[in-house]
Amino acid sequence: MMALQRLRLTAWDRGIVLLLILTLLFGGMFSELFMAGDNLNFVISDVSEVLLIAFPMALLIIVRDIDLSVASSLTLASAVIGITYEATLSMPIAVVAGLATGSLCGLVNGLLVTKLGLSSLAVTIGTLALYRGLCFVLLGDMPISSFPMEWTDLAFYPIGSTFLPWSVVLLALFGALFWYLLHGTRFGRWCYAIGQGEEAAAYSGIPVDRVRLLLFVMTGFMAGLAGLVYTLRFASASPDGAMGYELIVIAAVLFGGVAIAGGIGTMWGVIAAVLVWGASRSLLQLAGFDANALVIVSGLLLLVSVAIPQLISRLREQLGHRSPRGGNPTRGEASLPSGNEVVHPSPAGAGHDQGSN
Amino acid sequence: MTGRNVASTALKAREFPILVALAAVVVTTGLVNPTFASSEGISAILIESSVIGLLAASQSMLIIMRQIDLSVGSTTGLVAFLVGQNAAANIGVPFTISVVVGMAVGFAVGIVNGFFIAYLGLPSLVVTIAMLYVVRGVFSQLAGGETITADQVPAPLVELGSGSIFGVPYLFVCALIGAISVTLLLRYSRWGRDLYAIGSNPEAALRVGIPVARRTFVAFALSGIFTGVAGLLLLGRFSFADATSGLGIELYVIAACVIGGVAIAGGVGTAMGALIGAVLLQTITFALGALGVSQFWQQAVAGALLVLAITFDRVVAVRSARRVVRQVEVLA
Repeated sequence: MMALQRLRLTAWDRGIVLLLILTLLFGGMFSELFMAGDNLNFVISDVSEVLLIAFPMALLIIVRDIDLSVASSLTLASAVIGITYEATLSMPIAVVAGLATGSLCGLVNGLLVTKLGLSSLAVTIGTLALYRGLCFVLLGDMPISSFPMEWTDLAFYPIGSTFLPWSVVLLALFGALFWYLLHGTRFGRWCYAIGQGEEAAAYSGIPVDRVRLLLFVMTGFMAGLAGLVYTLRFASASPDGAMGYELIVIAAVLFGGVAIAGGIGTMWGVIAAVLVWGASRSLLQLAGFDANALVIVSGLLLLVSVAIPQLISRLREQLGHRSPRGGNPTRGEASLPSGNEVVHPSPAGAGHDQGSN
Repeated sequence: MTGRNVASTALKAREFPILVALAAVVVTTGLVNPTFASSEGISAILIESSVIGLLAASQSMLIIMRQIDLSVGSTTGLVAFLVGQNAAANIGVPFTISVVVGMAVGFAVGIVNGFFIAYLGLPSLVVTIAMLYVVRGVFSQLAGGETITADQVPAPLVELGSGSIFGVPYLFVCALIGAISVTLLLRYSRWGRDLYAIGSNPEAALRVGIPVARRTFVAFALSGIFTGVAGLLLLGRFSFADATSGLGIELYVIAACVIGGVAIAGGVGTAMGALIGAVLLQTITFALGALGVSQFWQQAVAGALLVLAITFDRVVAVRSARRVVRQVEVLA
């Protein structure tokens, strides 16, 4: 059954990778500008923050949690970097402070979710507002835009004579790290196990809450790192930066084949999905479409990415091929809130009965 | 105690703390700054919480059955814009046409959401994030740089946005009517009880013969109509609409529901609670201003209170669950 499942699931990820290749090929044929070094540099820079956060978000969604506060954590880390740099005139200290801030944001989310047993959707909607609010507290309405040239140049100029932006180093490093973590370690297998069934995972000795807490901290840390990239890329720390990034990250992760009901997904699907998103964005711009077209396309891609696997599995069922239940990425517990029900069966379950009797 | 009594006591208990919190905020702030608790102050809060309140009341219907709709911000803005544009393009068009246009647009988005979620079985979080983008993109494309200004807004909507009856703003009266009707529908109709059953345990609901897919579809369609009305209120409130109208309000709507005791895990809560949650959220924001808290602190404090409210709600839920378990044990 596991083998069958894996076969069906990787099919979607392969589809996304294929789509990425097709997008690049089509882009190359459509316009010489698309494959030009400058444009590829722009595409990679443009997706770097989203991709950095998408790595840990994939793991988080695989264990059936979610973090909506990532854009606010990113901006808060950026604000702290700005403030610390102004105070100390030392970028290394500022960077450490920024990464610590991101990790702390993640830790707070994780503690609220694991220690108090709250739903991660509700908690992170709250901290989305809280962290964003703290950005305004720290910065007021005055963005900080005096950063040292030798640091901002990292975000403005490519590596040596190549077209690759410096953020590629971070993307490659952390991409490889999270890839290995998810697909090569016991920790990664724990994540899938928790996502497939938290209770069963706990009974088989997996330290469920520790894994979830760690994932929240990782997500916060990566949001902090994305905050550093964002700050350098725009040479500015402003309280209203990265608005709405949380939904872009989540949309990209889901588009990459991670099931919102947990337990399913691969890192390469997620990476390919973010790159497809960035490449199609650039293509649409080169073709003269405006930003609205991209927004519509993003939405439709997301919808199609969940609808097609579902339609295929329905079709198979009708044709008489009974497929394993768990193999269906969008079936089972239909929506995210239901995931939280399974997380805390006894008290919450009893609580529900009040309403329904 | 019968099951119904237990249920109604628990429901009362869920809304009671929110009302107490609301009263406490109003009284303390009013003592420090009398203009806050004046009728103008209170009516300002009510006006400001109407759109979110109505959206939260209709969202509660979905959260109760374990669904969620994040596309409401985009849809509300789209409705506000289209109604304004329609009225401006056809001078002298009857107001009822505007209302029908607004509801129809909301309904259309609602049935698209409902179709994907109820009949294809897709997760509502994913579908409605996708629809958030699609609707916002279409909306921006239609609107371009165009803005709807006061002279294009139908006169009854301007009146709705500024008038009041017995000191209660019309806008809030609309939200209140919406919340009361949803609450009654959910509490006393069989259709509504089914939503609670679905939210408590979807599998069990299916097995006892509740048509889960149809209930889900109709709930999204109905919620779409309410979203259309919220769009009308938004246009009346500001006498203005452009491509950014309603941007990002979906998270405030969910926050209002959670504060108002509609548990994200489903099966619990009322539309009235969600409306009160929206008023409380707005009251706190205003109170911080009236207490002289810097505007830069306001969002941070509101966020912290939201986290507190979620925590508190959880503690109460666990406690009342234990109480119910004890009562069941006694009965047994």
